[in-house]
Amino acid sequence: MITLKINGLNVSVEKGSTLLEAARFLGFPVPTLCHMDGLSPYGACRLCVVEIGEGPKAKLVSSCTYPAEEGLTVRTASERVLRARKMILELLLASCPQSKIIQDLASAHGIRRQRFKQEHEDCILCGLCVRMCEEQMMAKAIGFRGRGEKRSIGTPFDIKSDVCRLCGGCMYVCPACQLRCTYNEPEKAICGGCANLSPPCVDKEQFNDMMCYMSPCVACEIKKD
Amino acid sequence: MPYKASCLIPADAGKKCIIAFGAMLPRGDKVLRLSSINELKELRRVLIDASDKSIPCIVIPTGTCGQASGAGDLVRVAKREILKKGLTKKVHLRITGCHGFCQMEPSVLVEPRRVFYPRVGLKAMERIVEAAARDEVLTDILFVDPETGKPVEKQDDIPFFNKQVRRLLACSEQVDPIRIYDYLKISGYSLLAKVLTKGSPGWVVEEVQRSGLRGRGGGGFPTGLKWDLLAKQPTSRGKFLVCNADEGDPGAYMDRSVLEGNPHSIIEGMVIGAYGTGATEGIAYVRNEYPIAIKHLNIALKQARQLGLLGENILGTGFSFDIKLVKGAGAFVCGEETALIRSIEGKMGEPRQRPPFPIQKGIDGRPTAINNVETWANVPLIFKLGAKKFANIGTEGNSGTKIFSLVGKIKNTGLVEVPMGITIKEIVYDIGGGSPGKSKIKAVQTGGPSGGCIPADKFDLSVDYETLANAGSIMGSGGMIVMDENTCIVDVAKYFMNFLKDESCGKCFTCRKGTQRMYEILDDISKGKGTVEHLGLLKELAGTVKDTTMCGLGQTASNPVLSTLRYFRDEYLRHVIDKKCNAFVCRDIVGAPCQAACPLDTEVWRYVALIEKGKYEEAYKIIRDSNPFPSVCARVCGRKCENRCNIATSGGQAIAIRSMKRFITDRIDPSVYKPVRIARRDKKIHRIAVIGAGPAGLSAAHYLSLLGYKVTVVDAGEEPGGMLISCIPAYRLPLDVTRKEIKTLIDENITLRCGTALGRDITIDELFRDGFEAVFLAIGADKSWRLGLEAEDTIGIYPSMQFLKAFNLKGEEMAKGHVGIVGGGNSAVDAARVAIRQKKVKSVTLLYRRTAQEMPAYAEEVEAALEEGIRLETLVSPTSIRYIRAAEAEGVRVETYVEPIKIDARNGRLADIQCIKNKLGDIDSSGRRKPVPIPRTEFTIALDTLIVAIGERPDSDCLASMGLELDKGGRLGVDAKTLQTNRKGVFAGGDLVTGPNTVVNAIAAGRKAAGVIDRYIHGEELAEPPRVKLPSVFIEPAVVSDEELEDAQRAEPATLNAGSRKKSFAEVEMVLSVEQAVCEAHRCLRCDLEFTQRKENEEAECVAVEEKSA
Repeated sequence: MITLKINGLNVSVEKGSTLLEAARFLGFPVPTLCHMDGLSPYGACRLCVVEIGEGPKAKLVSSCTYPAEEGLTVRTASERVLRARKMILELLLASCPQSKIIQDLASAHGIRRQRFKQEHEDCILCGLCVRMCEEQMMAKAIGFRGRGEKRSIGTPFDIKSDVCRLCGGCMYVCPACQLRCTYNEPEKAICGGCANLSPPCVDKEQFNDMMCYMSPCVACEIKKD
Repeated sequence: MPYKASCLIPADAGKKCIIAFGAMLPRGDKVLRLSSINELKELRRVLIDASDKSIPCIVIPTGTCGQASGAGDLVRVAKREILKKGLTKKVHLRITGCHGFCQMEPSVLVEPRRVFYPRVGLKAMERIVEAAARDEVLTDILFVDPETGKPVEKQDDIPFFNKQVRRLLACSEQVDPIRIYDYLKISGYSLLAKVLTKGSPGWVVEEVQRSGLRGRGGGGFPTGLKWDLLAKQPTSRGKFLVCNADEGDPGAYMDRSVLEGNPHSIIEGMVIGAYGTGATEGIAYVRNEYPIAIKHLNIALKQARQLGLLGENILGTGFSFDIKLVKGAGAFVCGEETALIRSIEGKMGEPRQRPPFPIQKGIDGRPTAINNVETWANVPLIFKLGAKKFANIGTEGNSGTKIFSLVGKIKNTGLVEVPMGITIKEIVYDIGGGSPGKSKIKAVQTGGPSGGCIPADKFDLSVDYETLANAGSIMGSGGMIVMDENTCIVDVAKYFMNFLKDESCGKCFTCRKGTQRMYEILDDISKGKGTVEHLGLLKELAGTVKDTTMCGLGQTASNPVLSTLRYFRDEYLRHVIDKKCNAFVCRDIVGAPCQAACPLDTEVWRYVALIEKGKYEEAYKIIRDSNPFPSVCARVCGRKCENRCNIATSGGQAIAIRSMKRFITDRIDPSVYKPVRIARRDKKIHRIAVIGAGPAGLSAAHYLSLLGYKVTVVDAGEEPGGMLISCIPAYRLPLDVTRKEIKTLIDENITLRCGTALGRDITIDELFRDGFEAVFLAIGADKSWRLGLEAEDTIGIYPSMQFLKAFNLKGEEMAKGHVGIVGGGNSAVDAARVAIRQKKVKSVTLLYRRTAQEMPAYAEEVEAALEEGIRLETLVSPTSIRYIRAAEAEGVRVETYVEPIKIDARNGRLADIQCIKNKLGDIDSSGRRKPVPIPRTEFTIALDTLIVAIGERPDSDCLASMGLELDKGGRLGVDAKTLQTNRKGVFAGGDLVTGPNTVVNAIAAGRKAAGVIDRYIHGEELAEPPRVKLPSVFIEPAVVSDEELEDAQRAEPATLNAGSRKKSFAEVEMVLSVEQAVCEAHRCLRCDLEFTQRKENEEAECVAVEEKSA
């Protein structure tokens, strides 16, 4: 067992746990986007940052990847942490305004404005899909490509992967684009806006071979009505 | 394929070596392998014996910089000459890596005299070979010290070299990187032998710890501690040592140079490190963009292995260690250690969370220690000097030397090796030689994209890890980019953000998106779309990126933004509030630089284009539209437009814009221009008083009159014109030109009251009482500063203003006999040239306390003075000083570096003055080097007349009593945007506000005042909202053939020859001919087209689209 101090509380956690696991185990909420139980931690979204250490050496680390260390002091909701999270959410909202998850998180953190130029991206490159495909579906069909601004997720050279079984696991875990299949005009895809758009998947033959994993599916719901 | 023994034996070792090793050398293709430490010693002895140091050796550096500038050809020529002339026994040739003075490449060093030849051409190379064979020095192509103007023979006497401590770089001079024997000769691998002989790994680590060596890659982690940690890791699965040569900072190339020039020092360092830490495998990670470094390192590794200095059973001691070379694909982030490890493992170069640290879990999960190239190169040095001696250089906690690559706006570009703790000032000015041009150095950027900008006023900071980090930058791997006033700080930050948004691995959302967003905001600011709120957002975002990212790249990615925001907020504000870029870099707010530089916003590009089309009247209208004094400005303008001409800033000759203006104003009658009168906004007649009828006052009056105001212009002089008629000599600006121009401006709305002085005849209160609603003060600056010496009121000593006025207005000739003029500004040169034209004058000498290059006078005027026979003694080559030249041609003598200290009078008249000689000291606040008197260098100059022209100030004492606030220099403080003084309704502009300044600035102030006063009268917001003025009118560019452009030279107007003009006041400069003007217009780059043509194209596209849809 490892003893450490989280939010002023002296606690013991199992060796090998991450700070995120420790905090959540103790009931301290830490928001995440790129974390999912059952997938290896990655540390891409930075939303789960917590403050460790004291004084001038205090720093923010991503709790999902940082191991619980003996004697560590951790603050999961210090002013510095909250300030950073707010900025991260503002950035996320500016890039992916249509994600329900991001909207909810932003709302919960009191984000009431967004000062950057509005974008409509359908991916925050959190890598959940990549890890899902590799670790749970044992396929490794998709991965990261490029770096920096040009980083994207897809198959090598954009050639349809032989190992992809169209399981849809990648879309199932996606926090940015649950509604991806229901919109095709990004500029209109604001909150709830998807409901106004025509669902592309329902009547199209090319989807015959696929299994729909969406439950409930907004498009189907609309169709029913 | 293994090297044959013959390849390994250096040519200069000669037969002796081969004979000596005859017994040891195995037969056939097999090569010599050293099987014991003694054999290494023996081999070195033989090598040293075989080399004759007295034979001259020509050393040609062929690093990447050398090769790029033609060193390869020099090598070929040198080889050919040596063979052709049969000099193989008289001259040796050594091809080495870069020596550091990249600015002077391709250079040649001749040993043993260590003669340095910079920028050697092919012909010069032939001569060098011959001269070296005869042991002679070619004095005509030696390096010339820019400060003393004298040639320097020895490399070590050149300031660039002699102020460095070249522990590592000096080895690059002595070693041909592809010949291991060269390295052995300079006691290479002997330190490995020493370590192996000692046989105590613990001692190795302790020695490194004692040396205090810290990671040279930028982090500054103590190397000894790192090694100690590695040594303590379990050895069961093996351990790695890595040499990080993924140098990727823009502008940094130290590591490349060391790898290219002395790869064996890295190998030796790593083998010593492996022995100390028990590492089993070594990896050199070199970026693929360094082909020469890879080639040299590969050769070196092969040679070291063959000689038994690397690989299994090193030197027969049973110790084994080998190094593998891994080529990096060039991702900047792979310099980060965890990303580098992943890259070596063959995975995507992406950093991961630490802990676990590489020292615990590195490559393939095995303990790994990563050190930078320069750190490894320092390791053999520690054992050569001993830890204690190694630490003698540098400061406490920052021992040893550090190599910096000094690049950017600096005279001596190159690699400099300095002790840690040296100040930035010493590096930039003493070694780097300061700014290459006249513009002031503004900042240095250290540490590449992870570092920050340090402003010039912080150049006293010492260069060490902690100080730089506290200043908001980092030491980094050693890039030092020098920036001057032509560098836009916003653009610099934008450049680095652009680099980082591409080079961030993209894993952390905040780093990837944060750098993109920072770039986006900076881009908006540089396009004039930023607001003050953007600066706050930028700072907040930068803080978050710094705080929340995982690896070093992200955590430091904000530094370029944060440090520039911290030190250069004014420049950001200038962009977001005024929409101006002082460095003329941000294209979208600058437009055509000639127009942007002009205080009057003259559409220079437009009239130059119209001249080409032969539309002279239209051209005149364009000029006159923004300038009420076109003929005056065609002669005496300060020509900011030419300084900013894109041809000039890229190293060519600017378009002769002033001469083009003269060309137009001389042939077009002013009456073609009909000023636009704006209907009065209300029925009431408003009266405005303008004090001073100089360029500022008259311009204000003119524009107020156009707006329908009744203006009364009050002037103390007898006729309007101010400085234009009283102080500027007629040979530069003929009186009738000024008078004619002033006449066109005086209309029925303007009343002139000459001979009326403010303070003496009227006061501001009286003016308001008389019904004037606003007052514009523009009384200029025409009172000369005094030297502050005793007996300054002796007969024969005159302030320059008094001297010039007496002659210009009354024709009085005050100068007699031998005349001395103190000062280096325009009025000093004017006074000199007026003096030399006076009848009783025998000689004229200009005395200036700095160098001629630093004279504030216009270069062409100085040059003209020189032509007139005015003497100028200077320590710098006066290539750019045309103005002094002109005065000299007329007979004026110029002495620099002198300062008067005492005046001697005899019989109540000036007899002589005592001066003291100066040398240049430290940089002062103006960015120039301060003149410092040299003790005991006093000397006497016999003079009949002394004219004091050390500067002017406004004659403004009377204003203080009228309730206006003046500064120490007598200048009136105003709000820069509204020209408003501390008294309501009183505005001021021109030299009264700025101190002595150019005519064009005064006109601009007058024009601005007219607008402000108009808004004031109508109770509106005084400041004009900033607007970006981009070229908007498209003028078809001329078709110019390449041949014509190739030999096109700047059109210089003809001038009266010095002999004939010396005794007359006829205008010296003539007007351009039509052919000259057209040729000159053809040279124009037409920077406007970028903006106007784009619009044309867009319009054309629109039309096309419309047609299609129709």
